[in-house]
Amino acid sequence: MSDLGIVCKHTNVSALNEETIEDLTELEDLEEVYLQLCNEQKQVQAYLQVLGDQQGTIENKMQLLQRMRPKLQLIEGDASQLGGMINFTCSLAENVSSKVRQLDLTKKRLYQAIQRADDILDLKFCTDGVQTALQSHDYEQAAAHIHRYLSLDQSVIELSRQGGESSSVETSLALLKEAEVQLKALVTKRLEEAVAADDLAQVERFFKILPLLGLHDKGLALFANYLSNQLASKAQDNLMLAITSDIGERRAPMIFVDTLTLLLEGIARVIETHQPIVETYYGPGRMHRLLSHLQAECDKQAQSVVDKFIQNRDYQIKFQVVQASMLKGVSTEKIVLRELDAVLSEVTLMNSRSELYLRFLRRRMLADFEVADATTADSVSQEHLQDVECLLKECELSRRMQELIGCYIPMEEYYMRETVNKAVTMDNWEVGQMTSSMVDDVFYIVKKCIGRALSSNSSDCACAMINLATNLLENDFREVLVSRLQVGYPSSTLADLQRGVSSAVILMQSSLQHGKIHTHIESQEQAKNAYLVTLNNVDVCSENISTLKKNLESDYSKLLNQGAGSEHAQAKIDSCLMDMVHTSSKFKDLLQEGLLELNNSAIKSQVKPWITNFLSFSHNIEEEEFGEYEANDPWVQQLIVQLEQLMAEFKDSLSLAIFDALTSLMMNFISMEMEKTVFKCTFSRLGGLQFDKELRSLVAYLSSVTSWTIRDKFSRLTQMATILNLEKVLEILDYWGPNSAPLTWRLTPAEVRQVLSLRVDFRSEDIKRLRL
Amino acid sequence: MDTLWQYQFRIILLGDSTVGKSSLLKRFTDGIYSDVADPTVGVDFYARALEIEPGVKIKLQLWDTAGQERFRSITTSYYRNSVGGLLVFDLTNRKTFEHVREWHREVSEHILPHHMVYILIGHKSDLNKDRKVSRDEAEQLAAEMGIRYVETSAKCNSNVDRAFELLTRDIYELMKMGEISTRDGWDGVKSGLTAKVLYPADEDDLAQEREKSCNC
Repeated sequence: MSDLGIVCKHTNVSALNEETIEDLTELEDLEEVYLQLCNEQKQVQAYLQVLGDQQGTIENKMQLLQRMRPKLQLIEGDASQLGGMINFTCSLAENVSSKVRQLDLTKKRLYQAIQRADDILDLKFCTDGVQTALQSHDYEQAAAHIHRYLSLDQSVIELSRQGGESSSVETSLALLKEAEVQLKALVTKRLEEAVAADDLAQVERFFKILPLLGLHDKGLALFANYLSNQLASKAQDNLMLAITSDIGERRAPMIFVDTLTLLLEGIARVIETHQPIVETYYGPGRMHRLLSHLQAECDKQAQSVVDKFIQNRDYQIKFQVVQASMLKGVSTEKIVLRELDAVLSEVTLMNSRSELYLRFLRRRMLADFEVADATTADSVSQEHLQDVECLLKECELSRRMQELIGCYIPMEEYYMRETVNKAVTMDNWEVGQMTSSMVDDVFYIVKKCIGRALSSNSSDCACAMINLATNLLENDFREVLVSRLQVGYPSSTLADLQRGVSSAVILMQSSLQHGKIHTHIESQEQAKNAYLVTLNNVDVCSENISTLKKNLESDYSKLLNQGAGSEHAQAKIDSCLMDMVHTSSKFKDLLQEGLLELNNSAIKSQVKPWITNFLSFSHNIEEEEFGEYEANDPWVQQLIVQLEQLMAEFKDSLSLAIFDALTSLMMNFISMEMEKTVFKCTFSRLGGLQFDKELRSLVAYLSSVTSWTIRDKFSRLTQMATILNLEKVLEILDYWGPNSAPLTWRLTPAEVRQVLSLRVDFRSEDIKRLRL
Repeated sequence: MDTLWQYQFRIILLGDSTVGKSSLLKRFTDGIYSDVADPTVGVDFYARALEIEPGVKIKLQLWDTAGQERFRSITTSYYRNSVGGLLVFDLTNRKTFEHVREWHREVSEHILPHHMVYILIGHKSDLNKDRKVSRDEAEQLAAEMGIRYVETSAKCNSNVDRAFELLTRDIYELMKMGEISTRDGWDGVKSGLTAKVLYPADEDDLAQEREKSCNC
C-alpha cells in the first residue's frame, strides 16, 4: 500500500490526520477539509480501480512464472554443473601448461647455456686459430675466425668476462682484439698492394676477406679503385687510337661516339661481371656505393672524350657562329652544312649512349636496393631512391651531356633553317606535278632534324626541337607561301595587267628583302601556275604537318616504352605536338584565304559579265522568239562553254580537294549572281519556260562537273523558276503552305511576291491579295 | 582533367636557379612543400584548373623551367608558346632580383612580335629576417615593367594561389578585350564543347584581320 501513500502525498493530504481534523472548528475549514477528503477518496478509488483492472494480467503473469519454475530449477542445476566442469578444465590446463612452460623455460636456458659454452669454446678456438692462421698467412681462415668473433653476442662476452674463467677469457679477448686490428691492417694493405699491382687474383682474394672483418666500405672503395684503373687505361688507349689513327671514311665522323660507347659498354661489362661477387660476399644494397666510386672514373674518362670531341670537331666555334648568326639575323660566317650535319648526328648519338648507360645503372641499383630494403622502413628505402637519382642526375657525365645538348639545340635549329632556306631557293616545279619541290624537301628536313633530336633519347631535347620546328613552319615557311600568294592571280583584263605589274614589283621587293634572287616571272602563264602550285603546296603542307604529328606520336611512344621518359614526359610531348595541330590549321586558313582571293580575281570578274549577259536578250517573249531560241540558244550554251574553259584552267593544276573547294565557291557566286540578274528581268509565260529550260541545262552541266550534289545551292533559283512558270497567280497556293511538301521554300513571302511581279502578265493587285 | 574547361592558358615560370620556381609550382598544383628540392632538369610540366568566374574554368598548362645555364636552349624553345609568365626571384638573394630585368628583356625580345603577360614574384617571403630586397624596390621595378608584384612563400603557402589567379585573370581580361586571339587547337573535350587554346597575340594576324574586306 505504499502507492497509496504516494497518492496521498500527491494530493497534499499527508498533513491531514485525525488530530488535525479534530482541531477544526470553523465550518469553512471543515468543508474545505471535507472536500479534500472527498477528492482523496475519489483518487484512491480510481487508483484501486486501475489496480483491479490489472488483476487479470497480474494473475496471468503469476501463472506463467509458476509454470517456468521447474524449468528454472533444471537450468540452475545445469549451470552449476557447467561451472564445475569449467573450473576443472581450467585447473587442468593450468597444471599442464605450467609444466610445459617450465619445460620450455628450462629448455631455453639450456640452449642458452649450450650456446654460451659454444661461444666460449669458439672464442678459445678463434684465438688459437687466428694465431695459427696469421702465422701461416692463411688470411681466409684468420678472417673467418675474426668474423666469428665479431658475430658473437657482446653480452655473452661480457658475462663470460664476469664468470669463473674470467682471466683466461680476458686474455683470449685481448688476443683476438689485437689479431683483429692486425688482420684488418694487413688485409687492407694487401688489397691496396694488389690493386696497385693490378693482380686480379689477389684483388679478388682480399676483396672477399674484407667484409668478414666488417670493412665493407673500404673493400668496395679499393675494389672500385682496381676496376677504375683497368677502365682508365683501356679508355685512354681507345681515345688515343681514335684521334691518332687513320680510321676509315665510314666511321670517321663517329669516332667519338664509338670511343664513348666503348667506355660505357666497358663499364657496363665490368659491372655485370663483378656484381655477383659483390652480392655474394657483401650482400645486397652495396651496388650504389660501388657504382658511385666507378662513376667517378667514368666521369673522368668521359670528360676526356667529350673534351677531345669538342676540340676536334670545333664544336664551340660552330656554336658561336650559330649564336652570332641568330642574333644578327643574317649569316655572316658560313658553316659547311655537311660538317654540321655530321657533328649533330654524332652528338645526339653520344647523348643516347649516355642515357642508355645511366638507365642501366639505375636498373641495377634499384634492383639491388629492392632486395636489400625488402624489410626496412619506408624512409630508408625512400632515401636510397633519392641517392640513386642524385648520383645519376649530378654526375659529370650527365652534366657534360646536358651541356652538349644545350649547344646542340640551337645548332640543329640553325641547320634546319639554313637547309630549309636552301630548299626554298632551289624551289622547282615540273609540268604535271601538283606541288613544287620545296614542300617535300622542307618536310624531309624537318622530319630528319626532329628525328635526330628524338634519337638523343632525351625527351626534353625532342620537345625543344619540336617547338623550334613548329615555329619554323608556322612563321618562316608559312611566310614564304604567304608572300607567293600575295602576288595574286593574274587575270586577262587590263586592270589586272596593271595589277600584274605592281605585283611583279612587290615580288621583286620581297625577293630583295629575303636576300634571295627569285626567278623573274616572265609570262602570265607562269604567274598563274605559280599561284595554283602554291595553293597545292599550302594544302599539302597542312596535311604533312598532321602526318608528321601522328608519326612523331608513335615514334615517341616507342621511345617511352623503352623507358626514355621522366614522369611528365608523355604530357610534355603531347602538349608540344598539340601545337602542330594548331600550325596545321593555320595552313588550312591560308589555303582558304588563297582560294577566296582566287575566286575573287579569276572567277568572279570573268563569270559576272557572262551571267549578266542573260539580260541582253529578252525573256518577255512569244511563240516566235521561243522557237528561235530553241533553234539558236541565246545564252546558256555559251555560258556552259565559257565555264568549261574557265574550269579547265584549274582542273588539271589543282589537287582534287582544292578544285572541289574552288568550284564550290564558284557555284555560290553563280547562284547569287543569277538571282540578282533574274530580279532585273521581266518574263512572259514563255519567257518563264525558257528560263526554266536554261536553268535545268546549267544545273545539269554543273552537276556533271563536281563530285557532290549542287541542287542545294540552286534550290532558290529552281523555286524562282517554278514561280515564273505558273499559269496564273493563284496557282502558287497549290505549292504553298500546307501543300508545300516535299518542297521546302527557300524564298520568303516577300520574295515570292517579288518574283511573281516579274511576270508581265500577272496583275499586281492579284499578287498583293495573295495570302502567303 | 575531367572537369570541363573553356580556355587553356600556357604559363611559364622564369628566373634564376634556386629561387624556388619548382617549389612554388608544387605548392600550387599538389599542395605540398618539401625542404629538399633537386634542381630541375630541362622542363617540367604540370596542369591545374582555375575557376576565375562562376562558370568560367581555365585550364592552366604550367611549364617549370630549369634555371641552370646548360638548359637554356631547351627552356627558350618554350617561350613563344606561352601566353603568361611568372618572373620569380628570391627575396633573400639580391642577385636573383637584379637578374629579373634581364630575364624580362631576353624573353620579351625572343618572342617578338608576340607578347607575354607577366607577373613579378618575390619568393621565400617567410624568411623575413634574411630579406635582401625591399618591397618598395620590387614594386618599383614591377611598375617600370608595367606588371604586378606579389610576395609569396611556398613553405607557408602564402599568396601562392593568389599569384596564379592574378596572372590568369590578367590574361583573361586581355583576351576578352580582343588583345589576344584564341584559336581552335583541340577537340579533346568529350562533351562536345570546343575548348579554345590561347596563343600569344599575333600582331600580323591582327593587322590582317583589319585589312580583310568583305568578300561576298
